[in-house]
Amino acid sequence: MRRHLHAEWTKLRTVAGTGWLLLGLVTLTVAGSVVAAAAVSCTSAGCDYDPAKISLFGVQVGQTMAAILAVLAVSGEYGTGMIRTTLAAMPRRAAVLAAKAAVVTGLTLGAGTVAVFASALVGRRILLGNGFTRGPGTPILSLAEGPMLRAAFGSVLYLALIALLSLGIAAAVRDSATAIGVVLGLLYILSILPFMIADPGWQKLLWQISPMNAGLAIQATTKLSGLPISPWAGLGVLTVWAAAALLGGGLLLQRRDA
Amino acid sequence: MSATAPYRSGARAGRGGFARLLRAEWTKFRTVRGWVLAMVAAALVTVLLGLLSSSGSHSSCDGVCPAVPVGPDGEAVEDKFYFAHRPLAGDGSITVRVTSMTGQIRLPDLNPGTRRVVAGVVPWAKAGIMVKESMKQGSAYAAVMVTGRHGVRMQHNFIHDTAGRPGGVSKQSPRWLRLTRSGEELTGYESADGANWTEVGTAHLAGLPAAVQVGLFAASPGGLTVTQGDFGGSSAASRFAEATAVFDKVSLRGSVGGGAWRPDDVGVTLNPDGSAHHPGGFKESGGTYSVTGVGDIAPLSDGQQIENTLTGVLTGLIVVIVVAVMFITAEYRSGLIRTTLLAGPRRGRTLVAKALAIGTVTFIAGLAAATAAVTFGKQVLRANGNHILPVTTLTELRVIVGTAVLLAAAAVLALAVGALFRRSVAAVITAIVVTVVPYILATASVLPADAARWLLRLTPAAGFAIQQSIPEYAHVLGDYAPSAGYYPLAPWAGLAVLCGYAALVLGLAVFQLRRRDA
Amino acid sequence: MQATIEVNGLRKRFGSTVALDGMSFTVEAGHVTGFVGPNGAGKSTTMRVILGLDSADEGTALVGGRRYRSLRNPLSHIGALLDAAALQPSRTARNHLLWLAHSQGLGVRRVDEVIERVGLGSAAQRKAGGFSLGMRQRLGIAAALLGDPPVLMLDEPSNGLDPEGIVWMRGFLRSLAADGRAVLVSSHLMSELEDTADHLVVVGRGRVVADTSVAGLIATASGGRVTLRTTAPSQAMAALTQAGASVAAAGRDTLTVTGLAGEHIVALLSRYAVPFSEVSAHRATLEEAYMDLTRDAVEFRATGHEAAR
Repeated sequence: MRRHLHAEWTKLRTVAGTGWLLLGLVTLTVAGSVVAAAAVSCTSAGCDYDPAKISLFGVQVGQTMAAILAVLAVSGEYGTGMIRTTLAAMPRRAAVLAAKAAVVTGLTLGAGTVAVFASALVGRRILLGNGFTRGPGTPILSLAEGPMLRAAFGSVLYLALIALLSLGIAAAVRDSATAIGVVLGLLYILSILPFMIADPGWQKLLWQISPMNAGLAIQATTKLSGLPISPWAGLGVLTVWAAAALLGGGLLLQRRDA
Repeated sequence: MSATAPYRSGARAGRGGFARLLRAEWTKFRTVRGWVLAMVAAALVTVLLGLLSSSGSHSSCDGVCPAVPVGPDGEAVEDKFYFAHRPLAGDGSITVRVTSMTGQIRLPDLNPGTRRVVAGVVPWAKAGIMVKESMKQGSAYAAVMVTGRHGVRMQHNFIHDTAGRPGGVSKQSPRWLRLTRSGEELTGYESADGANWTEVGTAHLAGLPAAVQVGLFAASPGGLTVTQGDFGGSSAASRFAEATAVFDKVSLRGSVGGGAWRPDDVGVTLNPDGSAHHPGGFKESGGTYSVTGVGDIAPLSDGQQIENTLTGVLTGLIVVIVVAVMFITAEYRSGLIRTTLLAGPRRGRTLVAKALAIGTVTFIAGLAAATAAVTFGKQVLRANGNHILPVTTLTELRVIVGTAVLLAAAAVLALAVGALFRRSVAAVITAIVVTVVPYILATASVLPADAARWLLRLTPAAGFAIQQSIPEYAHVLGDYAPSAGYYPLAPWAGLAVLCGYAALVLGLAVFQLRRRDA
Repeated sequence: MQATIEVNGLRKRFGSTVALDGMSFTVEAGHVTGFVGPNGAGKSTTMRVILGLDSADEGTALVGGRRYRSLRNPLSHIGALLDAAALQPSRTARNHLLWLAHSQGLGVRRVDEVIERVGLGSAAQRKAGGFSLGMRQRLGIAAALLGDPPVLMLDEPSNGLDPEGIVWMRGFLRSLAADGRAVLVSSHLMSELEDTADHLVVVGRGRVVADTSVAGLIATASGGRVTLRTTAPSQAMAALTQAGASVAAAGRDTLTVTGLAGEHIVALLSRYAVPFSEVSAHRATLEEAYMDLTRDAVEFRATGHEAAR
């Protein structure tokens, strides 16, 4: 397994796109958060926004980079036919997928930590400048407080789980364009579906099973009781999605001719 | 040198150049089964998801849902106000002085169940004089009025609004209002002193019969509270508000029916026991009249919009983007692009032919999908008891055809991005991030409405504006947020933004293709 | 004027690498012209410039007197096979030719004709992705023939063909030239062209090093050398040098003589009574001639102990 890891790490390290994608992840996340925080203004009646969600808003944009990184790690090899070289060198396919997953997760966690904590710090400053308060005279949560810390760490985990979900789908679909289409469809379309259906029961259910909505519940720090799913349970839903995708992709990789 | 006779090609020159390139690209598209199936799937998913979301929308009324009145221009309207009126035959006029406008508004409850009602008027509370075709809700009218915060206005037939002098009304600074009828022409005037009159506006009420109703009215739309949704988006709530205006110096000209003013609480909501819910009122004492009204005389925006049946378009769009990108990047991957450029060495024309081919295919698939989704979706919505806001045939056609154009333009954009990047993943991501993601962030995220509006102005997602069937009315306070289906740009302007992006990127792609070695 | 390929003074750089360095040649109608040179000599780049795929920094490449990108029906002026693998794998062979035909305003009939001509009739409805390399080459040739062009240009057409296929290709190219077409065939192996080409354009390091007929090339390479076997090499050497020839020892009893024809050498040695057992004119093989010409032009050569093995 160590050799598998080393091989996959070398492969990903030596592809020109990896560095750019990680840089893109950080940039897009921070930029998205800054724009969202700057766009929020409070009325005299108070601020109706969750400061954690706003200052970590960029995750919703930055996640695309984590998805590409993961998809390319697998389907990039199918595109060039290098997958046959890989499988010839390392015939234990499950181990190959696991190594890929580990390397991609590690990189996403690293870049995600930088992106999320930078967003949280910058976003908080901007929100404070906009007159954002928790209540009269009380400043909004700082990173030192439990809920905000949970939101930030959860967002990093969220990015890693998105990468794993993408990796599994890419292993199942193989073609890179199709894989990225499926991943983005799964994330964004499922996230908007609850808004398109008026029935409250369906709305709630669709919300709970949508990987992006449920996963991002980890960012909620206000009105927790109104959430259709609790923060950690939401991240759990995303974990189930990622595990299912990896399992499905892994099984197909085992069964299929390369 | 060679003695061999030179070879002459037996191939005959065919038809004009561009048409041949277009035909070749169409042949390319239709001979890859995966692409054809994907395009069919895009259409199907558009229709099916639209029907799914339509069937998820239920609305029930006790017994039969009351008919929603429709205004003279065909739109659904709210026609609910207090009207003290008398018949007028033929030409004539009414002049009044308004000396005060007061009212009360219910504020959001602090403790559930405890009503908080304060004195005040909402911005679009209105009271004044009106000539109305009949007492039937939705019939034609013209009115001059004072409003809560928008000064004197002249409005007619629900959707037309002309501003007069700004400022409120009080005992110290009363407002004189006059409305004259001459055939189908109605003219509104205002004055500060009853001597110097200024024309506010005119209205042409086509087909106005000789016998109409003329009188004093008051109405007040509910107080609007927009709350940021807990999971994103926003929701609007309307709370009870009423307005009371005091009139004096009422004078009528023309053949006005004799007798007293007839008070009517037009369109008042009834409680189950038959009594009026929030009734208005009319008092008269010594030439001074006080009219209290609840409701509004305005276009209605509550109800299902036809574009709600097109929610599947977003998913269809992702499929279309993937196909359009692959239509070009697959050629780069296999090297087939060189063969393409050998067959059509004028590269600009070749790429434009390719864009036109994918655009046309997408347009046809999109047109079929949008037509089916709207047609069947409306049936499903109606069967579930929903009220669908009526629109003109032309608007419905614009929504359907516009949706097809939206998909086609997005396909061209995706193809152009594919030609520019030559890599499928980068191109698919870019195309989705600039078209689908802004729309989702603007309509279904915690993003504030202002930021959402900018997204829908600046990004290619502006094209979704073509789907908006009910316009935003400046004289009706509402939650005109993107999440409620209101776009910051006019329908064709929004589509033009998308088409502009598609043309721009295609231009860049042509430039690059010409410059680069293949 | 006959429709052929004229290449004049092409120069092209990729960064610091000089790909073409004044490449000039003309292809004659009615002949198969071999375009040979080691890998990296600029053959493919030249072909791509001729076809308007790449642009040269300097010089012109004309097809039938016109630049490729200005041709209205390009495939009826020149047919080309560059990369046989350049196919959409999920499209059938016939449909691949069909879209090409449509781009030139040609009908289905022509597609079926060329499919039969290259012998792919039975595989026409199969997906090109499942084709062997040989079948792809045939499909590529069918595409090149689609517009019935007077000029054909094929990049390494024998690559991946089995022996039977190579024989077929040879005959096919000859028959195309016999029609009166100009045929340019590139290869990095001279042996492939030996029985096919009438004329050779040999390139190295981005320029033409020889533009000659096959017979001419061999004669040049042979260079009038004569091999002499004698038991008295020093005597022979003295006699021949005196007569103006240059002589080099090629073995213990073998000399290589240049500058004198064989019959002169025999007469001379007989006059001076120098014993000799064999006088033979040296005849170079095409391969040798080629190696000779391109010795300096090979970009990558095995070196050190690798080469010594």
